[in-house]
Amino acid sequence: MSSLSVPAFIRGIRKHGLAYLFIAVPVLAAIIFLLIPMVTSFWWSFNEYNGIQPPRFVGLDNYVKLITGDKIFRHALKNTTFFVFFGMLIGPTLGLLTALLLNQKVRFQALFRTAYFLPVMTSLVVVATIWRMLYNRNGLLNIGLAALGLKPIGWLSDPQWAMMSIVIASVWQGFGFEMVIFLAALQNIPKELYDAAAIDGADGRRKFWYITLPALRPVLFFVYVIGIIESYQVFDQVFVMTSGGPVYSTTTLVYYLYSRFIDLRLGYASAIAYVLFIILIIFSLIQWRFFMEKD
Amino acid sequence: MPTKRTVLFMLLALLIVMALTACGGGAAPAEPAASSGDTAPATEEQPAATAVEPVTITVWDYYGESSPIVPIVAAFESANPDVKVEVQSLDWDTMLEKMNVVLTGGEVPDVVTLDMTWLPTYAPLGAFADLSPMANGKLNGVPLDEAYAAGALEAMRYDDQILAMLYDFDVYALYYRADLLDEMGLDVPTTWAELSDVAGQLAANGKGQYAFMADTFHAAQFLYENGASILNEDNTAAAFNSPEAVEAIAFYAGMVQDGSAYYWSTDEGWEVTPGLKDGRIAMFSDGAYYMGIMKDAAPEMAGQWRVAPHPAGAAGPGSYMGGTGLAIPAKSDNQEAAWRFIEYAMTLENQTGVFENAGAAPALLAALESDAVNAADPYFGDQQTLSVFLQAMETATPFPYVRQWNDIDAAFTVAMEQVALGEPVQDSLDAAAVEVDALLSK
Repeated sequence: MSSLSVPAFIRGIRKHGLAYLFIAVPVLAAIIFLLIPMVTSFWWSFNEYNGIQPPRFVGLDNYVKLITGDKIFRHALKNTTFFVFFGMLIGPTLGLLTALLLNQKVRFQALFRTAYFLPVMTSLVVVATIWRMLYNRNGLLNIGLAALGLKPIGWLSDPQWAMMSIVIASVWQGFGFEMVIFLAALQNIPKELYDAAAIDGADGRRKFWYITLPALRPVLFFVYVIGIIESYQVFDQVFVMTSGGPVYSTTTLVYYLYSRFIDLRLGYASAIAYVLFIILIIFSLIQWRFFMEKD
Repeated sequence: MPTKRTVLFMLLALLIVMALTACGGGAAPAEPAASSGDTAPATEEQPAATAVEPVTITVWDYYGESSPIVPIVAAFESANPDVKVEVQSLDWDTMLEKMNVVLTGGEVPDVVTLDMTWLPTYAPLGAFADLSPMANGKLNGVPLDEAYAAGALEAMRYDDQILAMLYDFDVYALYYRADLLDEMGLDVPTTWAELSDVAGQLAANGKGQYAFMADTFHAAQFLYENGASILNEDNTAAAFNSPEAVEAIAFYAGMVQDGSAYYWSTDEGWEVTPGLKDGRIAMFSDGAYYMGIMKDAAPEMAGQWRVAPHPAGAAGPGSYMGGTGLAIPAKSDNQEAAWRFIEYAMTLENQTGVFENAGAAPALLAALESDAVNAADPYFGDQQTLSVFLQAMETATPFPYVRQWNDIDAAFTVAMEQVALGEPVQDSLDAAAVEVDALLSK
């Protein structure tokens, strides 16, 4: 740290003035749109605040109420975790499988790649609206079930199914992103490694286990960190497809937060945001240890 | 140096998390009021200048393309040269979100269209100005209790204040397929027993069902018709699990159980229109605004539908009472000019415009009695439709104005969803009542 003396810093600014100017723009934006709201929101989370009347300091009350006495919050936590677990179980797996398939010398590779990636570029609201139609009682999925002689499913009206239906739609929308990342990473693995393994007599499964998977580790980390952070904030699909129902079965953390905001309970909404924030930090740290420490 | 890298990495991870949770913390950022093009209300400190420099009032309007407000602005401005009006068109969802943002510390508009079901949240917080000193008991010279029906006045009042002038009203009536009833030789149901009978016969013959909706608007109608209510008299406890209420909900849900009603659930989306078009729904209950939706979405069904008072229960007719009010945010600096605009929007001529432009039911009694509004409607077989809704308004009840309303609404809706799925009525309503009582005890 000794190299960072004040005169050196000033010399640095003189020398790289333009560069600092460029950096200043995103840094200022981050301070104004991220840091200040975050600090404000943190303060609100210790207040009872409706935005119209002055805030009333209540200490940890919001958090205590949230964790000990709020049935809907428990539903939201459970539903969101369900969504993250199944979404992260199915999504990246599906992405990796399609990437492995497309990494073979298949014909029309570009076409498949585009087709799988297309939903990622489509607005989540549009995707959710289309899936809602598919999930209709007389929708395509139930027509298919009827053709197989099965009973129709209340995809979005049966509390047992509703969250899973949202998972399915979301995985369909999102796995193309993971596929593209895996595919790029696969194509960066040096061919020599596979050649060497072949000479040593390794079969396909061993090659995958000892070459492909280790080489993908940083990418896996990236996919899971981004994926879990995004999944924990699932909102649009719920907003469009179910509004959190039936019987709280699809109320997620951010949807609940939103409903508290609409109800002008800003302190409580902020407390939810911070609980979510803490969950995400914990997850990120666990993942970082799990994926990176072995290096 | 691994430790330094560790720290750096953790910082980086923290930043990523922060960046991505920006949405999660979305309650916090006070979005700068989008009205950057506003001329700031700068003149009120110079009394000499006010006569010359017009004051600008901002009006937020959620009617969108069919706005009855936009067409009256030019005439208002020429009649009031000292006021300029700037209308911002929003949709319902956006307006609710934006309103929360500006009420919590932005530059407020001067007049807003207000869904009366939003009032329970805002009224107890003092977000809107009391209009009674400005109105002084009158609207365009007509005493308020002559200008409005009693139910409308009740909806506009909170404690001893008047927080909005009702601009259009929303009460529920029965929509039914006249052609199918004719074909089957059935009469329009006027009581619950007849409703159950007619719906049962239609369903049994594959002519479609009555639509069951689990939301509070629809469920409350059955409560009111059976002499029950959502909360008790002084809004301190749930009343939707009283014997009359349980009887009402058991009847309503029983129609799903016996197949005469179709549970229009989240599977199907929010609006019943697809079910009308494909013949699943032959009867349903909704407000006057739905006539406009049907004409847009199902023009091919012209002549098939009629409206009638919703079948009466043991206590007679009943409906929730809502609609759109015009209100002035308490923080507005231009309340006098805003009130003048509201009065102008409430003239007889401009009230009939609500019907002509937005297809909604104007709230002013004089407008409801005018010929323009009572023209025969060819879509509904030349019926004078609005008189049906006017009749329903006379016995309609606004939702209780309590701060906890959104949560009460949610708890009751959850109970209705459970009931629709076949769970016992008394248990479901009792469980919701426990929650609501806890909410109200705070």
